[in-house]
Amino acid sequence: MSSLNGAPLDTHALGHEDTSITRDAFKITTRKLPILKAGPIEEMTKNLGIAPPEMIFGDNFARIEHVPTGWRLEFNAFDALDRVDKTGESMLKVSYSKEWQQNRQKQFEDIKEVVKPFDWSYSTEYKGSETGSPTLQPTDTPIPLALLRRPDPILFFDDVMLYEDELADNGIAMLSCKIRVMPARLLLLTRFFMRLDDVLVRIRDTRVYVEFATGEVIREYTAREEKYEVVRKALAGSGEDALVMLRDPNRLAEYIPIVEKSLEKVVLK
Amino acid sequence: MSIGGSDLDKAITQLRACRPIPENQVRELCYKARELLIEEGNVVGVDAPVTICGDIHGQFHDLMELFRVGGDVPDTNYLFMGDFVDRGFYSLESFLLLLCLKVRYPDRITLIRGNHESRQITTVYGFYDECLRKYGSANVWRYCCEVFDYLALGALVSGAATSLSPTDGPIADNTNIDSLPDPDSEIEIETLNANGEIMYRYARNSDSQSNTASQGTSNPASSSPIAPTPSRTGPAGTGATSSANGSSRNDTGAVLCVHGGLSPLIDTIDKIRLLDRKQEVPHEGAMCDLLWSDPDEIDGWGLSPRGAGFLFGADIVKCFNHKNDLSLIARAHQLVMEGFKEMFESTIVTVWSAPNYCYRCGNVAAILELGEDGSNAGFVRRSNGERGGGGGGWVLGSNDGPNRNGGGGPNDNRRLSSVLGDSMQRTRDGPGRRYRVFEAAPQDSRGMPAKKPVADYFL
Repeated sequence: MSSLNGAPLDTHALGHEDTSITRDAFKITTRKLPILKAGPIEEMTKNLGIAPPEMIFGDNFARIEHVPTGWRLEFNAFDALDRVDKTGESMLKVSYSKEWQQNRQKQFEDIKEVVKPFDWSYSTEYKGSETGSPTLQPTDTPIPLALLRRPDPILFFDDVMLYEDELADNGIAMLSCKIRVMPARLLLLTRFFMRLDDVLVRIRDTRVYVEFATGEVIREYTAREEKYEVVRKALAGSGEDALVMLRDPNRLAEYIPIVEKSLEKVVLK
Repeated sequence: MSIGGSDLDKAITQLRACRPIPENQVRELCYKARELLIEEGNVVGVDAPVTICGDIHGQFHDLMELFRVGGDVPDTNYLFMGDFVDRGFYSLESFLLLLCLKVRYPDRITLIRGNHESRQITTVYGFYDECLRKYGSANVWRYCCEVFDYLALGALVSGAATSLSPTDGPIADNTNIDSLPDPDSEIEIETLNANGEIMYRYARNSDSQSNTASQGTSNPASSSPIAPTPSRTGPAGTGATSSANGSSRNDTGAVLCVHGGLSPLIDTIDKIRLLDRKQEVPHEGAMCDLLWSDPDEIDGWGLSPRGAGFLFGADIVKCFNHKNDLSLIARAHQLVMEGFKEMFESTIVTVWSAPNYCYRCGNVAAILELGEDGSNAGFVRRSNGERGGGGGGWVLGSNDGPNRNGGGGPNDNRRLSSVLGDSMQRTRDGPGRRYRVFEAAPQDSRGMPAKKPVADYFL
């Protein structure tokens, strides 16, 4: 099989096929491959009903599986994008949109139609694709951060990109997944980070904690959101380099208030 | 000190080794470059043969790979369609090297402006920070931005050959030799890998029948609707062969190169020439559109869902090309996994020259070579119509036509330019197009460790 235009199918640039580790009853698997080619992108566009982001790692995933019960929690790009608003109802506008449109309307009254409106910021509330039973249920049990702060050896680590879009150079939207497996537990963080320059900043984190010995799985979802200008002002007062900070969601998070939070838990035996 | 003659060659040597040159040399270089660029029109005239390149984005080692694959300056005549900077780690070295080459060999390299050649964009996407990091001040960034303002907005390539003189290169490993067209046929498209091996070849079919009708047993003599008139009118090797006189079939129109695409404010190339380009890229208007707009599977013009920026459909491109006597628009601006993507029956092509974009996309890159009209002097065109199944060569192992695009509607005619003749009279045949496809430079050449995620105690 070859690809469109005879371009080579395989680029050994980066990534790997499946890598996995099994700890007790849990099997953790990640897959990292290059972005999709034209053919699969077309297919995905058809199935999603919206144009996928510019960099779409459609083959990638990170998966936690409880082998005895077959329970799985997987993170992949397609399912995440399937939760993006496809109607254009929650559509954002770039910062200079108003200025742009005012000028344009005078000149081209006939060009009014917005092509295939959808939430092009690719904002998703994706918390993973869960299959099997029992399923995650609301809980008050928080993720035990103290246990995660201990410098236990990391047996398995991966960082899996799912999608990224430069918002036509108006900022960034990216969804990626990090996982670290220690002898007794694991932490997975799937983060959606979106910065629309001069408009809005969003960070939506899904953390999954697994305690291998007890079969306890906790999922925490935290959505943060703030106007760009507010964040920028807060950063200006912090003595930090605002431009650098605005590119680093790790350091940015504390400057953005939480707008939504949920906790769920399941115990797998 | 001044930068000229041997100093310039020294700077080139230093930059080729990916080492920045001192700030005072940058200032001198930028000054020289501006003097040169100010003399260029908004639309630079370029004679074929030329090799057209898309986005580079500071991927210096991949730019070196590009020169290895496409030939070095000044042996190869290059046209870069902008976005030299941002994203990659070596915007500074990449842009300064291209600029040095421009000053050293002004007639062998053309640089046009991309949307990243702007103060506003470079402060957000890396070039500003890189300059600050490498020089400790923003001076170099400022000098470079002043050069950006003088870069041309487009280029017009004339004198490109309609067909390629076939490469003698070996056949790439996974290419089915039976899928290649007859060596005597007129080659419209050829794709080569980084080693110059033929991956794919497509013969031009001049008949305008539907793509199923002519399979197999068509009569070779009758399949061409166009009489085999003398193929050229002007003296070989001059640009005068074709441009004025539309009567010869073998006369390809010019190729417009621009970073983004078209603008509803621009219906003729002369209107581009009238713009005042020496400024920061504005947020709206014709200059903005040329650097920002994208082709899309729509009718007419559309607004991007982002609330700013235009999208344009096949009818817009065909109309523009017809009106301006163009056979092709070459543009960059959008990442394509395969390195290039022809759309709208090969009336527009996206060329992308940053392999493994952002060091993580795993895409390949491409450059587009246009040959010189007359380079195949003495070549006798055969009206052999469909040979070996016509489009058979287009894609290895699949039946995708060169015009395959996102839409893929039922009426999607996958034949090449032949279709266009039905709807619009005397449309230009596209030039012969040789794509060289290449991958990212080997990791060890870039002096940085292979990208392996570093385990960290994230919370």
